[in-house]
Amino acid sequence: MESKLEDRITLLDGSRIIIESAVAAGAEVFTGYPITPANLLYAYAGKRFPVFLPAPDEITALQWLCGFSSVGKVGVTATSFPGFALMLETLNMAYLMELPMVIILAQRLGPSTGSATAGAQGDLLLLRGCISGGYPIPVFCPADFKDCQELTHQAVKAAIQMRTPVILLTSKEMIMTNRSFDLNEFEEKEKVSLKYFENGKPYKPYLADEDTMVPPFLPLGNNQHQVRINSSTHDVNGFIQKATKEALDNTKRLKVKIEEGMKEFNFYSLNEIDEARILLVSYDISSDAVLEAAKVLKTRNVLVSTLILKTILPVPENILSILEYYEKVFIVEENLSGLLREILFGIQSQSNIYGINKIGEMISPEDIIAEVSSN
Amino acid sequence: MVQELRTETKIPYCPGCGHTVATNNMVKALGKLNIAPNDIILVSDIGCCGLVDPLLSCHTIHGLHGRAAALAMGVTLGLNNKTKKVIAVQGDGGATIGLQNLLEVARQNVNMTLIVQNNMVYGMTGGQISGLSQEEFKETILPELSSIPPFDICLLAHVAGASFVRRIIGRGDYSEALAEAFAHKGFSLVEIVGMCIPYGIDDIRELTKISAQELTLENDKSVFSVTPENKSSLFKSIKYIEKKYKSNLKGKMSVLIAGSAGEGVQLAADLLTQAGVASGLYATKKGEYPITVGTGFSVSEVILSDKEILFTGIDKPDVVIVVSEDGLRKISKNIGEDSLVIADHTLQMPIHNKLFTSEFRKAAGKKGAVLSAVSYWLKMSDVIPIDALRNAVSKHKHAKDLMTLTE
Repeated sequence: MESKLEDRITLLDGSRIIIESAVAAGAEVFTGYPITPANLLYAYAGKRFPVFLPAPDEITALQWLCGFSSVGKVGVTATSFPGFALMLETLNMAYLMELPMVIILAQRLGPSTGSATAGAQGDLLLLRGCISGGYPIPVFCPADFKDCQELTHQAVKAAIQMRTPVILLTSKEMIMTNRSFDLNEFEEKEKVSLKYFENGKPYKPYLADEDTMVPPFLPLGNNQHQVRINSSTHDVNGFIQKATKEALDNTKRLKVKIEEGMKEFNFYSLNEIDEARILLVSYDISSDAVLEAAKVLKTRNVLVSTLILKTILPVPENILSILEYYEKVFIVEENLSGLLREILFGIQSQSNIYGINKIGEMISPEDIIAEVSSN
Repeated sequence: MVQELRTETKIPYCPGCGHTVATNNMVKALGKLNIAPNDIILVSDIGCCGLVDPLLSCHTIHGLHGRAAALAMGVTLGLNNKTKKVIAVQGDGGATIGLQNLLEVARQNVNMTLIVQNNMVYGMTGGQISGLSQEEFKETILPELSSIPPFDICLLAHVAGASFVRRIIGRGDYSEALAEAFAHKGFSLVEIVGMCIPYGIDDIRELTKISAQELTLENDKSVFSVTPENKSSLFKSIKYIEKKYKSNLKGKMSVLIAGSAGEGVQLAADLLTQAGVASGLYATKKGEYPITVGTGFSVSEVILSDKEILFTGIDKPDVVIVVSEDGLRKISKNIGEDSLVIADHTLQMPIHNKLFTSEFRKAAGKKGAVLSAVSYWLKMSDVIPIDALRNAVSKHKHAKDLMTLTE
């Protein structure tokens, strides 16, 4: 094979791409506590982030990040379920305070400490319910190296634009496996910056813009306007209020803010095959097996379309209409009970919805082919 | 100045509450230091003392129970501005919930003040004792709880490295003592022992009697701060792989390489992967080893293909290279009927019709056996030229020693 001059082929892992993309997008701070399989993210972050702070535990890590965010420095942390569990209360705080940040959740086999070095896709239902009250939190999920760049960029952008914590969901195999890759496939990305309140009027920290439902930001400590940030139920001035209409309206606004704001961030990859009546749906690392299985099935004259979700939560509305179109839908995910399946279809079994599930090792194309062929 | 910082909002505390005294003293102390409200960031915790926000006209951030010290530390480091004064306020409950946060900010000696308003009870939940309650103090609902000596939060913070700690028994005007703590450069912790009228000690003489004594302790320690640093792209340091060799491979080939920790398994796999890419192939590589990385097995999976690789798992590998007992134990179940197996001749291999053995360990030493076996395989196959491997080796810092293993 002839070498083209412009080739920039190398071996790299998803962790490197994610960290590079986060900083390129404008994230300035990384705080974290090392945890397998997120260790490479931590190591790269130390080499790349303008500010890198090793924390004594995950609660501290996320609290620090909130402090930075409240003064206008957008940050990133990376963890896995055990660390994420510790972060939950602070994540809720960041959500209600409306502080932008990205939390990379690298899934591994649970429950509990489980197997640190085994991959999994087991945290989706946790994310669906992680904000008390069931409020939606944006969850982006890369399915390949190009996504690692693009979706990390979009995660930072979404966090800043909507003033919210955003989850970048990934898993061991996506961020630790080395692959050959041509760096030319990456696009140059513009930095995203936090826009500050510029209106001459008095600043009310939680008075949202009527179109976006996002309150304009000002950092704590600025010289012009007093800023009040609050993680208890609060009014537009940032004062604690128990259950006044104003305070409850402010809390309700968070749901609309994310649902409306996320319409701009609807990412998925749909490969529709004419006449196919079967749809394979997946996300994250299992997408590789789905795409490979679809190729093999095609050689056997079994036509399947594939849908890879990259914005998983809140579930984009148009995804549901794609699903409805197919006679049989197979949802492929590395967990026991079908978490995405439950999010999309509920707990009532439907005769045309199939789960392809496995724990402890990756779902293989053969697993998928066998299931599709026998149903 | 004093009027400016204190808003007109009515004090929310019970008559006689220690928090009222503390708030008034805080306002007075900050007035003495002439700090403008927009230069003050108050970080408040959960509990009665956390109701302070609306009383002050400075910046305020009201967070979680126990986390004021950590949140304030993030604010301070993020601002990185000596003209701004960050003050965190928490109670005795918050101090024990977030003890790690408190010790960490003391250890790092970040330029901020933490006020621990210790009234020895959890006032918002019915007056339960805390880890900072003196032994003599009994709560009303569960007076039978045994008395255990409290944490001395001042001593803990001092030992952790705080450059200034002070305990104040909260009576009268102690604004001067507070002002000194606020003016301190570095981390200052002030424990204010105060009254809680409904649940705690409601008599100042009794409080004075049972409280630990007032004290001031200092450590000579540098102040921690962070200045953002521009670092170069993670793609900048990457070495590109030039495709200058040719492979005859059609389709996908999976290679499982197994040996012992510290014997170069991952390196050999990396070099093979690089050689594959240099031969125009797509490649993936992953490693597996025990959590205790310095002992037991080390296994690597390499996939080479003339087409883009999607699924990176390997069930039954096309090629197995195994050079130690640790490695064999780990991967013996993965050897398929059709796998080509290259093994060190000392290993007790199962009967297999495509088994090739050689004295890799004896000839190349335990650290050279893997690369030697990989070279052996490449020479007997036509997947990628051995020169592609040698080229990859030539770029390694130990090229000279490694190159002999490919001979």
